[in-house]
Order: sequence, then C-alpha cells, then structure tokens
Amino acid sequence: MSSLLSEALPVFIKGLEATIFFSFGSVVVGFFMAVALCTMRLSKSTVLSSIAAVYVSFFRGIPLMVQLLISFYCLPVVGINVSPGVSALFTMAACTAAYMAEILRGGFLGIPYGQIEAAQISGLNRFQILKEIEVPQAVRLTLPSLINEVVNMVKASSLISVVGVLDLTRAAQNVAASTYKPLSVYLTAGILYLAVTSSIGALEAVARRSLKTERQG
Amino acid sequence: MTENPIIEVEGLTKTFGSTEVLKGVSLALERSQVTCIIGPSGSGKSTLLRCLAFLETYDTGRVEIEGRLLGYVEKDGRRRPATSREISDVRRNVGFVFQHFNLWPHMTVMDNVAKPLWLASGFSRKEARERALAALEKVGLADKLEDYPAQLSGGQQQRVGIARTLAKGPHIILFDEPTSALDPEIVGEVLQVMRDLAEEGMTMAVVTHEMGFAAQVADRIAFIDEGVIAVQGAPRDVLLSKDNPRLVRFLKNFFDRNVFWEN
Amino acid sequence: MNLDFSIFTDNWPDILGGLWLTLELWLGGSVLGMVLGLTIATVRQYAGGVVQRGIAAYVAAFRGTPFLIQLFLLYYGGPSFGLVLTPVQAGLVGMTVYSSAQFIEIFRAGFQSIPPGQIEAARMSGLGRMQILIHVQLPQMMIIILPSMVNLYVIMTKETALLSVIAIPDLTAVLNGIGSATYAYAETLFALAAFYWILLECVTAAGRWAERKVGRYLVR
Repeated sequence: MSSLLSEALPVFIKGLEATIFFSFGSVVVGFFMAVALCTMRLSKSTVLSSIAAVYVSFFRGIPLMVQLLISFYCLPVVGINVSPGVSALFTMAACTAAYMAEILRGGFLGIPYGQIEAAQISGLNRFQILKEIEVPQAVRLTLPSLINEVVNMVKASSLISVVGVLDLTRAAQNVAASTYKPLSVYLTAGILYLAVTSSIGALEAVARRSLKTERQG
Repeated sequence: MTENPIIEVEGLTKTFGSTEVLKGVSLALERSQVTCIIGPSGSGKSTLLRCLAFLETYDTGRVEIEGRLLGYVEKDGRRRPATSREISDVRRNVGFVFQHFNLWPHMTVMDNVAKPLWLASGFSRKEARERALAALEKVGLADKLEDYPAQLSGGQQQRVGIARTLAKGPHIILFDEPTSALDPEIVGEVLQVMRDLAEEGMTMAVVTHEMGFAAQVADRIAFIDEGVIAVQGAPRDVLLSKDNPRLVRFLKNFFDRNVFWEN
Repeated sequence: MNLDFSIFTDNWPDILGGLWLTLELWLGGSVLGMVLGLTIATVRQYAGGVVQRGIAAYVAAFRGTPFLIQLFLLYYGGPSFGLVLTPVQAGLVGMTVYSSAQFIEIFRAGFQSIPPGQIEAARMSGLGRMQILIHVQLPQMMIIILPSMVNLYVIMTKETALLSVIAIPDLTAVLNGIGSATYAYAETLFALAAFYWILLECVTAAGRWAERKVGRYLVR
C-alpha cells in the first residue's frame, strides 16, 4: 500500500496543482468579468442591462458540463483552436462570472448612494468611483458568498477531467486504472479535495464573522 | 453686490414625478457671503442646494458657477445635457457637505480626505497628504488620521466631511443640513467649525434649521416656501419680519423655543 | 454552418429514453435526498454529541468533495466493499446522498428558525416528536426554506449532466454520443443546452407556484 502511494503521489500532486490552478485562475479572471457584467446589469442603458441579464441567465442556467462540452467541441468548428486547458479555463471563468455577478449585484446595491455622490463631488470619474468606492465595498459586503463561490469552483473543476485536462480527478482515474485500487485512490482524491475546500471554507467563516462584527461596530 | 456672484441661479424649476418641487427660484451667492436657506420640510431647500451642485438635474432655468453654465451645454440657442466630465469641470471649485456625511467607510480619515486629491484633483500624493493634513488640522482632527469613520462620533465624521471638501480648495461650500443628523450636544462642534470658516471669508450656502447660527453668522437669509424664495434679506430683516404670514408661522416654532439669544 | 435536424428525428427513441432517464434520476435523487435529509436532520435534533459530530462529518464530506468523485467512489470503488451497482443505480444513490447533505443543512436552518419555546409548549401539551415535526415545525419552516429547496432542486438538475461520465445512458450521454458519431456537435449540444434551460424554467416556475400556495396557507 505504501509503495502504491509513493508511486502515485507525484501524479496526485500534479493533478492537485492543476486543480488549484484552474479553480483559482478561473475565479480571478471571472471576477473581473463579473465586475464588468455587474456594471452592465446596473447601468441605465436597457441594451447593456439586457445583454448582461441574458448572459447571467445562460451561464447560470446551463450545467457547466454542457458549457465545457460546447467549448470543447464547437469552438474548433468556428475556428478557435486552443488547447483543452485554455478553453476549459475560460469556460469556467465565464461560468463563475455569471454567479459572481449575481452575488456582487447585491453588494453594489447595498452601498448608500450618498457615498457615490460624495465621490462625484470630489471629482472622481466613473472608473475611479467603481474602483475606489464601489468594488471594495461590494466585495466586503459579499465576501462570504464570494468565497463560497471559490469552493464551488474547486468542486466544479473536477469536470475538466472530462474534456481532457489532467486535473486531480483525471489523475485519480489514471492511478485507479493502473493500480486496480479504485477505493483507496478515489478516497485519497476525495480527501485532497476536502482539504482544499475545508481550508477555503474556514476563510469563509472568518469573513462571515468579521462582517458581522463590522456591522455591529 | 457689484462683484460677480460665485453662483447665480435664474428661474430654476425642478419636478419630481408629478410634483413640482422648485417653481422658479432665482438667487445670487456673492463672494465671501454666508447665505442661510431656511424653510419648512418639503419646501425644496435641499433640492435647491443639490441642484446647485448638479447632484440633481434641473428642468428649466440656469445655474451658473462663476459665469459658466452647470449641467448643460448651450450652442446656437439649443441646450444639451453636459457629460460628466464637463460637469466635473464646471463644479470643480464647489464644495459640498452632506447631511449624512457620506464618508467612505473602508478608508481611513486621511485617505478620505487625501485620496480624491491625487485621484481627481491632480495633486501629487505628497501634496495631497499635506493639503489633507492642513484641512484636518483646521477642523481639529489631526490626531485621528489613521482611524476609520466607524470609530468616530457623528460630529467628528461631519468634520472629516468638511475637511474633505476644504482640502480641494473650493471657492464656495454648500452645506446640506450639516447638523440635522447629529446628536444635539455635538451640533455645536460642527457649527463652530462653520463659524470659523465664515469668519475667514469662505463663501457658504447653508440649508439649516439652526436658527441661532443663521441669526448670528449669516449675511443673508433666504426663506423658501413651496418651491419659491418667498423672502430674502439680512438676518434681522427676515427673522423679525411680519410681512409674510407663512414665514411668521414658520419662525414661531423657533421663537417659542427661544433659539435666538443674541438677536 | 448548416444545421442538420434530421439527427434528432433519426434517433428519436434513444433521445427520448435518455431524456426520461435524466428526469427520473433528477427527480428520484432529489426527492429521496430530501426525505433522507429530513430524516437525518430531525434525528439530529434529538441526538447526542457523537451522532451530531458524525452527521457533521457526513455533511462536510459530501458538500466538500466533487460530485464526480462521489460517483466514482460509488460505482468503481463500491465493489471493493461489496457494493456492486449498475451505473443507473449508482447514479440514483449518488444523487440521493449528494443532495441529502445539502438538504440536511437547509432543514437545520429551518428548525433553528422556530423559537424553542414553541417546542417546549408542544411537549407540555403531550405531543410526540413526530407530531411536533408535522404540526409545529414543518408548517412554519416551509415558507422560510422553500426558496433554498427550490434552488437545490435547480442545482440538482444541473448535476445530472455528470451522470453520463459513469456510462449512464442519460440525455447528455445520448446527445453527446450522437454528436460524436455524426460530428453534429453544434446541433446536439445546443439541444442539450435548450433542454436544461427549459427544465430550469419549469422548476423555477414550479417553485414560484409552490411559494404562492404555501404563503396562502400561512396567511390563513
């Protein structure tokens, strides 16, 4: 058993690295997309607002699995030839952007409008107001939900194994196939995922508590 | 009244939905003068002040800041809404103090005052910090630089609000009921700062219920009622006037409570 | 890009079969998960520290790991401890267990929202635990937890897409298979997306209907 583990460990580590890279990478890219989406959603232009609403509705309504399949099979047809990893990363980013846009929307709406007026009177332009006043506070207000979304992304990342990315799940599948010990292998994979999600989950609890005390203070 | 006024208002109207809040207001705010705007709730006084800063749009009329039209651009007799950059440009020298302070809670006191200076007013970070420090010293809060708004009392927060607007070096400061949201015992500290500013010659327009302040510090008082300026003039003339029955009834409240002690 | 819809008409029986299987596994798994979750959450109220910790571990395990890994454990790892399941059985068990963990948390929040004094009064009036659940707790909890429950049903619809990975002939598997065979990826995948979107709209509409019904019950 121990020799099995020592052989398999590097493979697991490699898979875990890929999983962490794809989860966090898609969250980071998705975050910026989410801010843009949110701005569009809350803008006075009905065109922009509708486009954002449709986007969010699509990416939240269709399973990520189907989105990944569409990226994997259909993008080459329209001439976009990228590696499975790149298409998976951007698909995941596009998906989490929709969820985070919904989360951030509540945050943006929770900022007292007077602060934006004060910024306008102080001469800040639209972009500065977004960057200095709105985004920091929207994030602060919605941090627990945003962190929860990171956890969701870590779990969802297991799907990229289906479209050919060597993540932790694919690594586990490979090891299971070569060692014929699926139980221990998948248990190990499960424990590794759990370790990652639990640590992030602990951060969420901390964020939730500090948000509560901030409110009362 | 021979100098050009800093803010000149002519025939201002403003409608919210189906209610006409301002029905043709004309006013001139002269350099170094303190103008207090008083009136019953719903009279339109806050709306008027916010229109002066174009925090609210106005429907017809003109608001001119140092001779430049605010909020709209006129060309060949036609008027179009100004872009936000044009608006910022025209109201660059106008300061505003809000009833609910509107400090940014995620920034320290120093950042609240200094950041807009290097973000928007074009100062270097060093200059911004120096100006911020000077403004905060002026309002008596130089020892609270690294505190956050939540750690300050209401009066302190409002003073930071005043420092924030002072730091950008405005030619006129508009105060929208600056003490209405404060506990009575703290009102004094903010009024004192405002008095000091007035004494140094700052041009101010103050919407307020503080009749004592209006009586003692204002150079002119304007009484707004139902969307128009019903009475305006020197404090004594306005406050002791018996001509306008609505004004008399409005002031009765304050006379009864003996608000004026040095009239 | 020419869209060829004949692939749908040619393979109608398979597609219908896959669609039906997807719906069965979704509804079956979610309802069973709801029942299982309610049972465990109810027992949890009256259980001692060890059981509560055990339940907490169960919830953490199934909420903290990917659904796909759980399916693999059941289907591929099951035989190692004597559990031999067909793909469909594994899919159903997987959906049930996965959703049950979320349902436990939803019901737990619901139970907590009811002032303990009401439970005490019920006990003093002689009600048993089952009666308290049915007559005191569930009626009041319903309106509060309904949105979360509807949301979970929606989430489960999207999780069904993974079932194809363990060789379950659900809609995703059927359509993807047709797509691979005929290279008609666009048509099949967009049909798949359309199916899920329609299912989503139906579920959320049903949720709104349920909220209205429950709300009316409460007003009385």
